[in-house]
Amino acid sequence: MRRAVTGQRCYPFLLGLIAIASLALGRNPTVSASEQVVVVYVSEDQVFSEPILKDFERDTGITVKAVYDTEEAKSTGVMNRLLAEKNNPQADVYWANEPIRAEVLKQRGIAAAYVSPNAQGIPEMFKDPEGYWTGFSARARVLVVNAKVKDKPTSIQAYTDPRWKSQAVIANPLFGTTTAQVAALFTVWGDERAKAFMQGLKANRVRISTNNGESADFVASGEATFALVDSDDGASRIAQGKAIEVVYPDQGAEDIGCLLVPNAVLLIKGAPHAENAQKLIDYLLSNETEHKLAFAACAQLPLHPGVETPPTVKRIETLKLMPIHYAEVARILEAIQPFLKEWAGY
Amino acid sequence: MARRVISVLIVLLLAVIGLLPLLVMFGQSLIVHGRLSTEFYRASLASTHTWVLLGHSVALALLTTFFAVVLGVPLGIVLGKTDLLCRTLLMALFTIPLLMPPYIMAVSWSYALGREGFVARWLSVPMAQQTSTWLFSLPGCVLVLGSTFLPVVMFLTMTSLQSVNPRLEEAGRLVSGWFEVLKAVSLPTALPGILLSAILVFLLSLGEFSVPTFLRYQVFSVESFTQFAAFHEVGAATASATLLVLIALLILIVERQYVRRPLASLQSTFDRAETVPVTLGPLRAWVFMLVCLLCGVLVIVPVLVLVIQSASPAAYVEAFSRAGDSLLRSVAYAAFGASCLTMLGFFLGYFLARRQLPFWQALDFLTVALFALPSTVIGVSLVTLWNKPATSFVYATPLIVLLGYLAQYTALTSRITVAALSRIPASMEEAAQVAGAGWLRRVACVLAPLAKRGLVAGWLVSYLFCLRDTGITMMVYPPGGETLPVRTFTLMANSPPRLIAALCLIMVAATLIPLGLLNGVVRPMRAAR
Repeated sequence: MRRAVTGQRCYPFLLGLIAIASLALGRNPTVSASEQVVVVYVSEDQVFSEPILKDFERDTGITVKAVYDTEEAKSTGVMNRLLAEKNNPQADVYWANEPIRAEVLKQRGIAAAYVSPNAQGIPEMFKDPEGYWTGFSARARVLVVNAKVKDKPTSIQAYTDPRWKSQAVIANPLFGTTTAQVAALFTVWGDERAKAFMQGLKANRVRISTNNGESADFVASGEATFALVDSDDGASRIAQGKAIEVVYPDQGAEDIGCLLVPNAVLLIKGAPHAENAQKLIDYLLSNETEHKLAFAACAQLPLHPGVETPPTVKRIETLKLMPIHYAEVARILEAIQPFLKEWAGY
Repeated sequence: MARRVISVLIVLLLAVIGLLPLLVMFGQSLIVHGRLSTEFYRASLASTHTWVLLGHSVALALLTTFFAVVLGVPLGIVLGKTDLLCRTLLMALFTIPLLMPPYIMAVSWSYALGREGFVARWLSVPMAQQTSTWLFSLPGCVLVLGSTFLPVVMFLTMTSLQSVNPRLEEAGRLVSGWFEVLKAVSLPTALPGILLSAILVFLLSLGEFSVPTFLRYQVFSVESFTQFAAFHEVGAATASATLLVLIALLILIVERQYVRRPLASLQSTFDRAETVPVTLGPLRAWVFMLVCLLCGVLVIVPVLVLVIQSASPAAYVEAFSRAGDSLLRSVAYAAFGASCLTMLGFFLGYFLARRQLPFWQALDFLTVALFALPSTVIGVSLVTLWNKPATSFVYATPLIVLLGYLAQYTALTSRITVAALSRIPASMEEAAQVAGAGWLRRVACVLAPLAKRGLVAGWLVSYLFCLRDTGITMMVYPPGGETLPVRTFTLMANSPPRLIAALCLIMVAATLIPLGLLNGVVRPMRAAR
């Protein structure tokens, strides 16, 4: 009894606790501004973005502390974490997988202007005119079509064509790049035509999937004939040997063109490690990074001219692009949320 | 004095960790455009979508509970009470799904039954389309969550049956067979434990979000997560979560009415005798085959699918290179979290068991409500409260993850402590008091040693829950500080299935190895005694 009272029995337990605490808390991920660290929040798929960030660490000696998004958060989890941390920023850089969110962060006062020297050569439509975000390595919004289909659809208007009734699938337009696609259509077509198109989807019994990947899988398995997805969804399924083909939609002279969705990088206002943040932004906007992302499984289209690409990745000069301003798309996207929620039955 | 200090500390801790974040969040949900408003709640209640999702959540929780009870109670009887072959091995195998983050089982079943899974490869594509449709819906969720939570029912049934006073059963055996004794004596006596397990499974299923998200079955916890993650609607997310809390509280009231009756017919720690085993006789081989079949379907198949899917050294090399640091971090966070939870739970459990005042019962309500809340909601509330420059030492460090663990899982350790202390007669503590021992000495030298089995059980259970936690950690982990379940979850998008399968199996090993080591330490000590 006395031994226990004096606490001798407790010593191993307490020592264990202290050891565990040291292990768990000793390597504090947040570090002082003087250390060679950069904190980046990433919405691009971790499987593609992490190797780039590792290369940056290796090349510069700067440690990267990253927070990655999840598909289940519709790739908006870290953006909302940035919004929540507005008054006490933890991140230095945000690597968005599309520029709409970057634009929203600019409008909410979370981004800081930084024009990287490596942004030179990137077409103006993929950069914020005030330097708050810069685009790089893009995905295209493409139609993936089951390989057995002979006469393939070539326009997104096939969704409302009775010929394809009950055969098409599209990801839930409340989330992800499909939302951006719908908002882009509102800017190009105007409210009336865009709303008619959305109602047309319902009338033509278009199936709604939870995400682009699932849409591509429906097409690959033959449960749907075609789907509008991101080019990396198509590329990854083709790499897995699935029977689908990719069609870049609306490439005719009178057509609206194909929507391009570049990655976007921005500096966080009040970034704790601003200098290192600028180095990371420069790195991401380099030709080398675009080259790596073109040859990776995501097969993204470089925005810099002259970057080498594999044969399967189109160059943007060869495509007819949808004429949009991403800032306008971001504004419309917020405005059409009530319509989209109602459309989706929320 | 010591008792007062500790009770005040507990109250403060629970207020800061659990109550305050919720109040801040609840307050935010009542402010719309700078004005006091119940708009989020009115909108939520007026929406058909809300009621559909609520129906889905309740249906999923009820069916999962039914699944787990229907299979778990007979398993608990067979494994805990009979002379079945290989009981320890089977028990360990059935426990595996509970040790993993639930979405790993969902991933595994999707590799087997999904559109391009083994059914499509080995049988036929149309059949795979049917199995995929079945899996990615309510039945699939019930299968995954039911097999995950089945061990909860199994173990609580076993524990309850082992605690039944053998004298009652022996008396019953004098006049009737085992079937009648089980029906009339053992099971009714063990019923509170079984009901408690059913309530636990119901609450766990109600708040679970990773499996319904992965299997694309819309439930309330997913809606709450989407409201925050995709729309950044903290108010709407809170309104969504409030209904779940109300359901959880309703369940708690039911529990108080029907479960917490005096455990007079259970053995106390001090008159424990050997339990009376049921002899299966000629049925032994048949029952063994049936149990093996069940184990094969619910445990072996999903694990085997992961093994086959990841069968390449390159997958493991890549998995370790991508997630080796996360693995160490997971184990460290879980061990530290479990130690803190055990201490907090022990003292809270003491006050719940020994001082049945309404105030402590209210704290019990709070911890259970926090346990029932979707983990993502707790994550949001922690961000809302702690993300301030003055509290960066919490928010920007692993402490925030620890606070999340304490907020969500304290109910587990406090309840286990209550169960452990209820077996210790109050006279033991009173005797020490009469002998002049102070409160702290009585707790440290009398109660804690007598309740050590409960404390070890509490540590293990909380370690497992911390280790497999995905929802809270995903919302709050500091940059570069993610755990293995979170890393696996974030790597899922467009990663090769072999990599994900390898990560899932590493997660299983990360859970089993420390438990195995602990068992290796504890068993020789027990044998030495």
